[in-house]
Order: sequence, then structure tokens, then C-alpha cells
Amino acid sequence: MSRRPLSVGIIANPASGRDVRRLTANAGLFSSTDKVSVIQRLLAAFGATGIEQVLIPTDMTGIAAAVQKNSRSRQARDNRWPALEFLDLTLRQSVADTRQAARWMALREVALIAVLGGDGTHKAVAAEVGDIPLLTLSTGTNNAFPELREATSAGLAGGLYASGRVPAAIALRRNKRLLVREPSRGLCEVALVDVAVSPLAFVGARAISRASDLAEVFVTFAEPQSIGISALCGLWLPVTRQAPHGAWMRLDPQSPEALLVPLAPGLLQGCGVLDAGYLQPDAPQPLCLSAGTLALDGEREIEFNAHDRPTVTLDGGGPLSIDVNAVLDHAARQRLLAIDRQHRQHPVNLQPQDTLENKNVDTFDH
Amino acid sequence: MSTPLTTEQLLHAYRVMRTIRAFEERLHVEFATGEIPGFVHLYAGEEASAAGVMAHLRDDDCIASNHRGHGHCIAKGVDVYGMMAEIYGKKTGVCQGKGGSMHIADFEKGMLGANGIVGAGAPLVVGAALAARLQGTDGVSVVFFGDGGSNEGAVFEAMNMASVWNLPCLFVAENNGYAEATASNWSVACDHIADRAAGFGMPGVTVDGFDFFAVHEAAGAAVERARAGEGPSLIEVKLTRYYGHFEGDAQTYRAPDEVKHYREHNDCLMQFRERTTRSGSVQASQLERIDQEVDALIEDAVRKAKSDPKPSPADLLSDVYVAYP
Repeated sequence: MSRRPLSVGIIANPASGRDVRRLTANAGLFSSTDKVSVIQRLLAAFGATGIEQVLIPTDMTGIAAAVQKNSRSRQARDNRWPALEFLDLTLRQSVADTRQAARWMALREVALIAVLGGDGTHKAVAAEVGDIPLLTLSTGTNNAFPELREATSAGLAGGLYASGRVPAAIALRRNKRLLVREPSRGLCEVALVDVAVSPLAFVGARAISRASDLAEVFVTFAEPQSIGISALCGLWLPVTRQAPHGAWMRLDPQSPEALLVPLAPGLLQGCGVLDAGYLQPDAPQPLCLSAGTLALDGEREIEFNAHDRPTVTLDGGGPLSIDVNAVLDHAARQRLLAIDRQHRQHPVNLQPQDTLENKNVDTFDH
Repeated sequence: MSTPLTTEQLLHAYRVMRTIRAFEERLHVEFATGEIPGFVHLYAGEEASAAGVMAHLRDDDCIASNHRGHGHCIAKGVDVYGMMAEIYGKKTGVCQGKGGSMHIADFEKGMLGANGIVGAGAPLVVGAALAARLQGTDGVSVVFFGDGGSNEGAVFEAMNMASVWNLPCLFVAENNGYAEATASNWSVACDHIADRAAGFGMPGVTVDGFDFFAVHEAAGAAVERARAGEGPSLIEVKLTRYYGHFEGDAQTYRAPDEVKHYREHNDCLMQFRERTTRSGSVQASQLERIDQEVDALIEDAVRKAKSDPKPSPADLLSDVYVAYP
């Protein structure tokens, strides 16, 4: 019986990084070209760490097409990219595409899925893949769940874990989540970072750019250096990713206490703080408003009215993710990226034109 | 920004979208009879874009449209009967029957014209925006073009000039997925039209064109920006058209269930109706009354347009030159 190749998946949200916060704040663009570049950095790292196959979904924005084209380049050959398989999805150009790609990858039992997107993209993938670990990369606007980091290093960490060179006990961390339930509508949605309650009646352009559009916030974790809705708690009542509890906050523009919060890149808003506290796990919380919208991980998604009774519950059943720092710390201590003389990239195996002497570089001790 | 809409504004938005839909659905039927001269390019399916943008404009704000311009005209307030008569080539049309579907213009409403030349509206609105600046008004100019138009040099030049002069312009790229029969992901190099804004130093965003509220919110932020003297913006509105590029197009380039899927799951009128009545913002009976009024309006417009006189040979040179020798 033939051995199955060691496979990982990469899902890049083609739509991330283009929402209305380019108009209402100073958010930057994360173009398709940038996303292609991030994928290629991952492929180089996966190739270097023994990943044999990478599954990538097709898309309507040229990301998969550019990666396929570049897979024939010298860079791809020299970096020994893994074999690529493009998943031929029926595309709807919505979050359904991300969910479908994640389901297909789970069926193929990939060792991990690298996700390029914001909190919302990670949430969509997490909902479909059970305990397949996520390698999180931020290409959205206000991200708390995926950290901003260089894809090459993240790819090395992912590859070292997936190839079995770093044990799961070191490489993986379990995340918290928030469950939004409304039984009469059969609603059960997941957020990985925050749920915000807004008096705005409609989902609209999704982002929340004004303090007055926030009435209540629930968070799984809140770091003081974060940006977006979780920064509210992060700058008032910080909670680590590892803590068993979360936090909540009620807001009112008339409140005497107020906090200056970066709600979006370049957008600082004064938010009136009515009350705040820790959110205990497995205890459903009613909302402070009877009608409005719920923003999950920064994007308004659910409209509710007086007939609905949504609740928010924190639990510890969120996705597994790769702890890049922990993996690379372990790799450094164990010299996992040390190479022997037979390795093609060992300096002794370099072509003469690549040696330092032939580049007129001073090779004496410094 | 996301200022809550009043019931009156919501009902107006519904009336605009419903009028566009009824106008286009009726033209789809009437064109097949052979009575309508020239080509028509129907806007059905894209209503939320025109209604969402135009909700922020005044009569003294200018727009320029493209070959698929009926929706933009209706949303900007051009008379529906005058448009129908124009499309039928009748003397009672808004351009006395000499423009037809692709050249409907009404300067009093700030409608600079539909346009048969792809991308040609963009330089016009740059001129209109410069005029507003020189006249010291806070007028804003908006151009609508498609994914095909987004590839035109005239659009690039207009975006460049608007940005260099920091003009109060809004570039609205209605990406319905096809330039005639060519899929946009085959023909738009960077795929996201909004990404092109960065090359001209202006913000670019993508919004769901099936959702009136999403378009309304993004357009509101862009128009507010332009009126405040902060310069041009680009909004890519992603949507679909329910009919062919032109009436008679067999659409062999589309998947068999493509339009059916969008009609059943994304339709802007369906979404608007469900969400506004569920939230209690409007009553279903108010929307039904608008449905009846719109149907009567379209019926009346078609009936009158059909029986109206055509222009005479004596009309040939009128309104062509400022002064004919």
C-alpha cells in the first residue's frame, strides 16, 4: 500500500483587506498580489521542512492562478516547493467558498491549514475543521486572532510541526470561543475573539467605525496592544489567550468614565464605559439590547429584533492553532534547522559563483 | 458613516429599486416584440448599487453612466415616462427621442448621460467635479462603469487627474462579472478593481452590491469625504445582472443555474423586503402599496410611450448645435 503524502492546506480569503475602513479609517490594502507573495513564502518554508503536498482552493481573484504560474519558476524549483493540488470548488465568491475549501481539506486529513485572512476568515475555517490545527496569518484589517508575523517563519513553524519534528504538546494551543445562540431561529454561530452588540439595525458594510455604534462587547481574550473591538477590553480589563475566562463591557456615550480606543487603523474613538467584568465559561449571557445587530469578530453579521433572544456563551472549545514562537524556540534549542554537509544548501555545496570569495566579500574574522 | 435611515428614506430606496426592476422587466418583455429601436442593456439585479449611491446625491450633483444606464437615471430622478418614451424613440422622450436607451440625459437632474462608449463617463465627471470646485459649491460627481470599463485608459486617466487635483469625485465600478461575454477574472489583471485605487493614491473598497445597506454605507462615507474636500474614492460594487449583456444575448458563457442562484439567494429587493419588515422599520403593507404604484407607473409609461409621436424630419438638427447657421 502506498504511503499518503504529507499534506497541508492553505486558504487565503480573496476578499480580506478591502472593506469600508479604507474610507472610514486609515486601513491599508492587502492586495491579491500580496497574498500570492505570502503563499509563496509559506511554500518555500513548507518545502524546506519536508511537506510533500499543499492543497490550495481555486478562487475568482487570480490568487491560485498566480501561484500555479509561479510554481514553474526558478524560485519554486530552487526552494523545492511541495507538489501543489488546486481544489476545484464551485465558487460563490462569499464565505461559503472558504468553508467549502476547509471541509475538503478536512476530508483529505491535512496535517494543518494555513489561513490568510482576518478574524472572520479564521472563524469560518475553524467552524469546519475540528481539531486540525490552524497556522494563522493576518491579511485582514483589525485582527486579534491571527498575529502579524512573517510568513516564512510561520511556515517553518508549521512545517516543523506537521512533519513531526515538534511535538503537539509544544506546538499547539487550544483557543477559546464565543457561541452566539438563538434557538428559535436555529442559530448557533461562533466567534474566536469578540462579539459586539450594536444598535445599528442592519448589517450594512459590516465594520463598526464609531463608538456610538457599540452597546456591549464580549471577548475571549483581549490584549492591550490589539486593535479593533477587543482593544476596548484590552485597554480596560485585559485577558490573556490562556486565561480560562473572557471579559465583557457595557458602553454608553453618556457614561462619566470613558476610554480612548483604536477601533480601526488610525481611528481613535472615545468610548463611554458603563461597566465591565470577567466572563466565566459556559454561562450564557443575555444581551443588553432588544434589537440591533451582532458583530462577530469585528463584522456585523446577525440582525436581531424584539422577538429574538440571542445569548453569548464563552467556552474552551475553540480551534487548535500553531504556537509559532513556541515551535521556533524549540527548534532553536534542538537545532532542528541545522543541516549536514550532504544538504544541497550547505555552503560547501554552493556553486563557485555563489561563494563569498567570488563576491569580493571579506571573509576574515571580524 | 452608518447613520440610521428613517422610514421615509427606506421607503424611498425601495421605491427606487422596485421602479428600476419593474422598468427593466417590462422592457425585457417589450423589446421582444420588436417595437423598440436599437439596443437595450438591462440593469435588473443591480438596483441596490444605483439606489445606495444616489441616496446621498442632490440634483446639483452630477453623474455619468454607461450603456447600462436605466437604473442610474431612475435613481437620479429622471422622469420614468420620459425615459420610456426616449427608449421607444418618441418625441416626448427626455432627449426628444433622438438618444434612445444608451443616451438618456437630463442635466436638470444632474444626469450627464448614459454613454455607449465604454469608460467615457469618467472624464466627464472629472470635468463636472472641477466645475463644482471652480464654482465654489460642495457638489460631488459620480461615474458608474463596469468591470470592462475598469480596463479603459480613459478611466485610468480620469482617476489620475481626479486624484492629482483632489476633486470631489466618486468612481463606482459595478463589477457584474462580465464585460459583454468575457468573465472579469479573465480580463481584469489585478482581479479586484478596488485594488487599482492604490495606484492613484485614493482609497478603494469592495462592497456587496446585492445589499442596499452595504452600498449605502460605503457610498455615504465616500460622498462625505468628497464633499469635505478630501478627494476622490473608488468603490467596487460586486453584483450580477439578471439578463444578457444586451437583450437577445443567449448568455452561453454563463453557468446554467448562475442567475437562478443569485435571484433565489441574493436578490437585493428580496433581502431589503425581508430585513426591513423583520426589523420593524417598515410595514409589509407599505411595500405592497409601493409595488402597486410602481406597476401602475410603468404600465402608464409604456402605454403613453407607444402611442406618442416620433420626431419629425424637421427635428433632425434641433438640440444638436447651440446655434445652427
